[in-house]
Parts: sequence; structure tokens; C-alpha cells
Amino acid sequence: MDGIHDLGGRQGYGPIDVGEPEEPFHEAWEARMLGIVRSMSRVAPWSIDWFRHVRELIEPVDYLTRPYYDQWLQTYAAMMVNSGVATVGELASGKSAAAIPGLAPPMTPDKVAAATRNTARFDRPATEPPRFTVGEAVRARIDANPGHTRLPQYVRGRRGEVTAHHGAHVFPDASAAGEERPETLYTVCFAATELWPEATAAGDRVYLDLWESYLDAA
Amino acid sequence: MSGHDSHTIAHIHEELHSHLPPEPALRVKALESLLVEKGMLDPATVDAWIEVFTEEIGPKRGAAVVARAWTDPDFKARLLADGTAAITELGFDGWAGGHLKVVENTPDVHNLIVCTLCSCYPHSVLGIPPNWYKTAAYRARAVRDPRGVLAEFGEDVPESVAIRVWDSTAELRYMVLPERPAGTEGWDAAELADLVTRNAMIGTARDLTPGKGEAG
Repeated sequence: MDGIHDLGGRQGYGPIDVGEPEEPFHEAWEARMLGIVRSMSRVAPWSIDWFRHVRELIEPVDYLTRPYYDQWLQTYAAMMVNSGVATVGELASGKSAAAIPGLAPPMTPDKVAAATRNTARFDRPATEPPRFTVGEAVRARIDANPGHTRLPQYVRGRRGEVTAHHGAHVFPDASAAGEERPETLYTVCFAATELWPEATAAGDRVYLDLWESYLDAA
Repeated sequence: MSGHDSHTIAHIHEELHSHLPPEPALRVKALESLLVEKGMLDPATVDAWIEVFTEEIGPKRGAAVVARAWTDPDFKARLLADGTAAITELGFDGWAGGHLKVVENTPDVHNLIVCTLCSCYPHSVLGIPPNWYKTAAYRARAVRDPRGVLAEFGEDVPESVAIRVWDSTAELRYMVLPERPAGTEGWDAAELADLVTRNAMIGTARDLTPGKGEAG
């Protein structure tokens, strides 16, 4: 979707806060929110792509102004309401109006050490050979999926070169709609001068990981 | 729409905006209370995760990976060929480490990591990302004005050095292998690891010459 989240190359944003303190959390509630997400029981099939799409759909002003972990809260709350895990009223009050039947006990602290090494993989057995070869020129498609997509606006219509392929990976556009459909994933390199009218450094490059259906031969 | 409808979610976001408590701390408190009441959360587990990400999983891990690569050419070759396998050797596999690609700085190349579409980050080796990494400003500017961003971080990269920006648009996660600074010949891996900053592994720092950071 052409949403507020698709920020690459947008202009008008100010300087970076390079003096930010090094500590991982700056507010107690931020740490709490991260811990909640790592600890809570999942009672609905929420994929990483669905999470990202629900975050992208946060109202634009909120997306740009609310702190990062507050956006996590908003996203998890929306997924819970959508999946029937909680109501808006329950999330507002913090009081449960209805129990969830048949729920397994939540994660206990003794399970955390092992869980830190849980590593999700997104590569899948390939069903078709890659359409493009390393070194081949490709052009990113102008049109992108109106739902979730990982094809940013700033490369659409631009010409790049395939620098690697990674076999088949879960395709986010389908995954965010509840369907796991693997597709070949490539790394594609774009010259800065191809992307930005003001770019002058001939050697500068931007690399993106793009799925096959985002690309045409150039 | 199998529970994946964008319009439904947009409507839920509006409802939540109108009805949740006004402060983020209060919203998080309400969420935690609700999850505990529903039997979906043990607060002691939340404490344990916070401790892990405060004490254990952070940029010290990445610095150990870099120092090992600087002192062990075979490890460096394995790290550049398959980042995930190499960090697993050190016990640093985990969250967002399933497809790690390590990109190497050289005298002619500088690498910079960003996620323009959300905030993807190699958590299992670098821990919790800084807030600035997740801001609209960094996400917007890193791909378009990397030299301007680097200048704000105190790094003036000459045009003779090519900048490669890696936008984490899929499940590959990127980490920069900085250049080993001159004047560190004979240093052991532990001494070298102390030189390696989080920003150097994101790519917003380049020169790790001993003492340079202390002056700033």
C-alpha cells in the first residue's frame, strides 16, 4: 500500500538525534512493552507480515508522532480486537470481560533463556527456478499490491541489477493476507544516480531485497 | 477476507485511538493487566525478557563477532559467506538472526544499514535498536542522503569512497563489518571488541581509531 510508512527518500524530515543515550530503553513502559510482546501467548495466527501491515494502517498522524513501542501497543491491540482476543473496552480498562476457553498457561521465566535462541527462518523449498540471473538488469514494477507489500515507492519504475538470489522466501504480499506462498527473492542494486535527481556520487548504491513478482526484465 | 481486511483494521485503529488511555505508559499498563487477567501473560516473564535485553543481548555481541573476524581470517571468511552460521558458532543466533548478511567496509567502500518500510534490525547481535534508527527522519534520509546523515554522526566520507546503503526490505538482516583501525596491531580480541561501537555496525560510524570517540 502507498502508506505513510513507506518513508524511503521522503523529504522534509529534520536532523537525526545523534546524541541519544546508549541505554536500550529510555522509558520503563518501553521495556515493558517489549517484554510483553516476547512473553504473551499467541492465540491467533499472527505472521510478521500481518503485524507489519497492521502497523502500516495506524492513522498517519499517529504513525509519525507516536513513539515506536507505543506503535507496537497500538498494533497488538488492533490485532487482538480483529482476532476476537479482546475488545476495545477491555483494552481501555485493563479488565477482562470474558475468559478465553482452553488457553494453555503463558510462558514462564525459566523458558526465556532457551527462547532467546529461537530463530525464525523464512526460506522455503523452491518450486520454480529463478527467472533472473545474477548480473541481469531488471526494472522494479510501477504498480504494487494495494495491501501489504515490501516494494518501496522510491524504486518503482527504476532500473537496477540483480546481485544475488536467495532461493524462495515467504512472499509478504500473500503472507499478510493469510496465505503462505514462497517466491524467489533477489538482492537488487540501484545506482543512487538512477534513484535521485540530485545524486552526484557515481559509485553510491542502494541495495534492496525484492521478490520476483516485483521485477521485470529491463 | 479471512480476518485480514485493511479497512477493518483502519476502523479498529480509529476506535482504539478514541478509547485507550491518553498516555503510552497507561496504555501499556492496561494491556499488561488485561493479558494477565486473561491468562495470557506472566509478569515475571516480562521482567526476565527486559533483563535479557538490558544485560545480555546487545551490541557487545556484535563487537565480539567483529573482533573475532579481525583476528581470525577463517572465521571472517565464514562470517561473510553465511552470517547466520557464523554467529550460531558463537551462540548469538536468535531473534532476527535467521538470514544474517554481514557487509564489509574497505578503504573504498562504506556500508550503511536502514529499514525504510519499518524498523528491521539484527536484534540477536545488536540488541535493541536506538530510537533514531526507527525515526521517520533516518528511514527517509538514509537511502537518499547517506552522506548528509553520516556527516551528522561526525563522519565526512569523501566521494572517493562509495557508499552502499542496505534497505532491509525482506527477512535478510544486515550488519556492517567495520575496518580494523590502524595502530591496533598485536591487540587481542577482547581489547579490539572494546573499540567496536553499535553505530559502526549499523554504519553511522566509520573510523574506529582508538581515542577518536573519546574526543567527541
